[in-house]
Amino acid sequence: MGSTRNLEHDHLWLNAHTDTRAAVYTFSSCITLSDLNADGDFKLIVADLGTGSTNVKLKVYRGTSLHSETALLDVPTGVTSFYMDLSEPRIPAVAVASGSNIYIYKNMRPYFKFSLPALDVNPLERDLWMQIRDEHLEINVLVELLNNLRIEIGHSQLSTRSQHILSLDASEAASFVQQHSKFPLKRQTIVTCITTLKKALTEEKAVSCLVVGTECGEVLVLDPEAFTILEKIKLCAQDNTIVVVPAILAACGLHAVEFRIVAACRDGSLRLARRGWTEAKLLVQLPAQPVAMTVSAENAAITIALMNQTLQCFSKKGKLQWIVTLPAAACSICQIPLPHQSATIIAVSLTGGLLQLYNGRQMVDVIKAPQTVSGVVFGRFGQEENALIMFTVDGSLMVKILKRTAHFNLQGSASNTVSVAPGTAQQVKLQIPKKTRLFLDQTMRERDNCIMMHRTFQRDLFQLRVDVARACVRALQSCNNPVSLEGAEPVKLSAQVLGLGPLFKMVISLQNISASSLVQGLGILFHFDDKMYSMEKPYLHVPMLIPGQEYPFETMIRNISELALSDQVRVLVVRDGQSQPVLAAIINMPVCDLLV
Amino acid sequence: METSRSEYSNGIPSRKLIPKPNEPSAKEPELQTVESRNWLLHRHFTRKEFGICKILIQEELERTRGKHEYANYIQGLILRQEGKIQESLDCFQMCHSLDLKNVDYIKQVARSLFLMGLHSLALEAYLEAQQASKVPDWDIYHNLGECWICLGDYTKAKESLRQAVQLGHHEHSYVALADTYKMEGEIQAAIDIYKAALEITFRAAPDSAQLATSLGLLYLQEGKYQHALEKLGGALARDPQCARALLAAGAMMQNHSDYDVALSKYKIAAQSWPESPALWNNVGMCFYGKKKYVAALSCLKRAHYLSALDWDILFNLGLVHMATQQYASAFHFLSAATNLRPAHAGTFLLLAITLRHLDDPDNAAEAFKQAGLLSPMDASIPLNYAVFLESQGDLDGAALQLERFQELAQMSPRLSSELVQTATQLSKVLNRRLMSSNGSKVEGVDGNDKSNMAIEVEAQVRVRNPPVDSSPESLPRNHMADDEV
Repeated sequence: MGSTRNLEHDHLWLNAHTDTRAAVYTFSSCITLSDLNADGDFKLIVADLGTGSTNVKLKVYRGTSLHSETALLDVPTGVTSFYMDLSEPRIPAVAVASGSNIYIYKNMRPYFKFSLPALDVNPLERDLWMQIRDEHLEINVLVELLNNLRIEIGHSQLSTRSQHILSLDASEAASFVQQHSKFPLKRQTIVTCITTLKKALTEEKAVSCLVVGTECGEVLVLDPEAFTILEKIKLCAQDNTIVVVPAILAACGLHAVEFRIVAACRDGSLRLARRGWTEAKLLVQLPAQPVAMTVSAENAAITIALMNQTLQCFSKKGKLQWIVTLPAAACSICQIPLPHQSATIIAVSLTGGLLQLYNGRQMVDVIKAPQTVSGVVFGRFGQEENALIMFTVDGSLMVKILKRTAHFNLQGSASNTVSVAPGTAQQVKLQIPKKTRLFLDQTMRERDNCIMMHRTFQRDLFQLRVDVARACVRALQSCNNPVSLEGAEPVKLSAQVLGLGPLFKMVISLQNISASSLVQGLGILFHFDDKMYSMEKPYLHVPMLIPGQEYPFETMIRNISELALSDQVRVLVVRDGQSQPVLAAIINMPVCDLLV
Repeated sequence: METSRSEYSNGIPSRKLIPKPNEPSAKEPELQTVESRNWLLHRHFTRKEFGICKILIQEELERTRGKHEYANYIQGLILRQEGKIQESLDCFQMCHSLDLKNVDYIKQVARSLFLMGLHSLALEAYLEAQQASKVPDWDIYHNLGECWICLGDYTKAKESLRQAVQLGHHEHSYVALADTYKMEGEIQAAIDIYKAALEITFRAAPDSAQLATSLGLLYLQEGKYQHALEKLGGALARDPQCARALLAAGAMMQNHSDYDVALSKYKIAAQSWPESPALWNNVGMCFYGKKKYVAALSCLKRAHYLSALDWDILFNLGLVHMATQQYASAFHFLSAATNLRPAHAGTFLLLAITLRHLDDPDNAAEAFKQAGLLSPMDASIPLNYAVFLESQGDLDGAALQLERFQELAQMSPRLSSELVQTATQLSKVLNRRLMSSNGSKVEGVDGNDKSNMAIEVEAQVRVRNPPVDSSPESLPRNHMADDEV
């Protein structure tokens, strides 16, 4: 029964395949499922980032085994499969975006390479490079002028070549110029994300356009056959200097009829573009950076995982629908359509290896993975319709299959979850500290004898106060106080004895604690039993003391007695021509270790 | 060619030239675009995979010799999250030097300065950002407001925050603006801000329980209990675990002597807030209201342990100890309370009654006088004083105080019946004793009356309960506000 089932994945998911040694470094955007050979056997295509710079491969899994591998030139940003044309058999193409190019594969063989259109180069910059090519300009002048240009327009607005030469030393610049100056200056942008958009029909195998987000803040819609740019949408208003870079793209609708492209951007904004727009509209400013996003095909609702450990859902108009706080940082998201339950649930993978499945704001299932799941997709794999493919951060591959009989408990609505929470808290008992029998006995005793107790206490308190006052007066009279009082010199004394003996080092530090007045004419005198100790300098002259500064004075003292005894040493701070000391302190000397 | 020959001239050809010595190649050697891996940095950063992210940043910075805006930017953000503000500032300054016009970099520099406590520098930076930004930016205005608050200029803070609110409709700006008004004591203005905030964020965010709670608390402060209860109820409907709202709602229930409901609220709040002194104080006073003194003492002592210098808790401890007739302990807590708040008449009144029980009439009389001085309009003080004087045999003094009580009682019509009852009883006794001023029967009557009086004094103490309860509960609100900051 659905209602009694607890949140355990074992009931719903079958473990189809686990390969802990797949060693694939990838993201959700680099995984796709596709019927590559048009034989109904869906393959798993995954771009492996390898080490992040080398060993980059496009891998195809057929069933549980690795079917083929293709080396890639650069780190792939995204992989997607789509139908380019109407030719039979219906073989889909695979698009791999990396750097500033999109490589199209058909039958897993390179088919076409699309390069993003070059950006405009600043005319001044182009001019400078022309001049250096024709050797009208010194190299150091070029570098200086480029530097000026950089300050004016910003580092990111320069071409790659200029950026490079600015980072080089003067010695390297010459050879760099020689190597590059003959070629035309280009400024390239980078693909940051890629997705697909159906062209005219909604069918599963209909022709789709590629939708590409670029580093220069544009979204391009490409024609699948001719690879011409059908739409070019700028993400931010013309007059804004900050480039808004898309981080995640999602598209729904049909290109020929009406479509919506939602871009989650690096500045934490969610922007929407629709058919006919050349500029995207700011939908909502998110409170944190976006991590992963999906857009529902039915009502264009946007579900987005943010860096502040929340999952938020927005309507297509950008109105916040709900927020769910996640127990850990989110890593990726994937949609799980359940046509038999006419619902789409959303799987969120969390740091630590948890995969939570949400229907709306309600969590319906939890899948535990041994490691954080880095990339997750759901779809048709092999002959199986409902397969969940997971790649963890340590590179292992897991395939789970949703049971045909699986039934998620979707009945509990949003309002239900709210009322459940306090119920559980209600059952918890308030932890009141317990009291012992003894406590109660003492209470009774106090109740009976409170007057006597009060009086005893008051008497003892007064006695204590009197004793303290007496001790204080005595100390003041004998000048035994380490901090002087008003009237006398504003000086503070502290002493330290270092060493194990018989030779000790005595460090006396004096500090003038007044706000502004200087103290002059003081000396430090040591008073001790000369049978016990001998001292290097029994009198130290004190220079003028500046307020606030602490002055350390050091002297050596040697224990000369045969017996392992210790005695007191009195430190007196005296003023010239005054019989009573300003300050005094008694130092209890440590027992010296005769073995040393 | 001339330039290349000079490269060879020192005998060792430059290493760069070795691969293609005489190849004027048709293709330009590929230069990796600086931004080519920004997307990867961003992805790892947002997934909080800072370890990998740092390695990648290091690679990118080495490749571009530090001239990589985005890598520096992300590094700054990571360092800030790790609490290394100074290092993050260096990163953002690097970004800024690469692109002087980018407002975001200036904002981040300012933010780092703000976090380092250099508010005036941060303010300057934000002003610079404001100038650089072509479109008005709520974030800059908001942060300017925060800087002004820290620098103590509330007028300018309000101005900036108002701009921020108009531009952005962001919850934080509303809260900051309302806080500024609260600090200046303009509660009504703060309430209006919160109302506007709730209206707007309700459209944007249905889960704004915190805002509703803050508004509820402000209403409570203003004494508008109906409004407060509405808002707190709304907050709890949105987030049933919201401890602030639970505590405040519980306190309101407690004020209406609905102790069981209040306790059930506190029970939930205790799950998320087990170390709140205000919470334990209120729980303790709930038990006191239910006459479960041992439980009350346990809870109050925990509250006292959590916040030893809290005046309310000390006062309540004194009160509960009086109820259990532990006068010696009560004296301790009450005297501590008077030391912390020497201007509160109620503490002196309780202290006086305690001292009376501790058989210290001189000090008791002093305490009564002090209480009367501090709160000359409180009717219960002269009545208690009269009872005390009567028990001491000072009948004239007692009559005088009783007269004073009656004067005050006429001015405040809504006086507790218990007080009035005690007063009539006392006046009867006084009349009887004044008439038989030197009779032999006096002593017997005296003894009898005294025991009566003693009970009446206890009754007096309990009359003081409602105000006692309310004061500790007004405090938790302040606590919560503090916690929020």
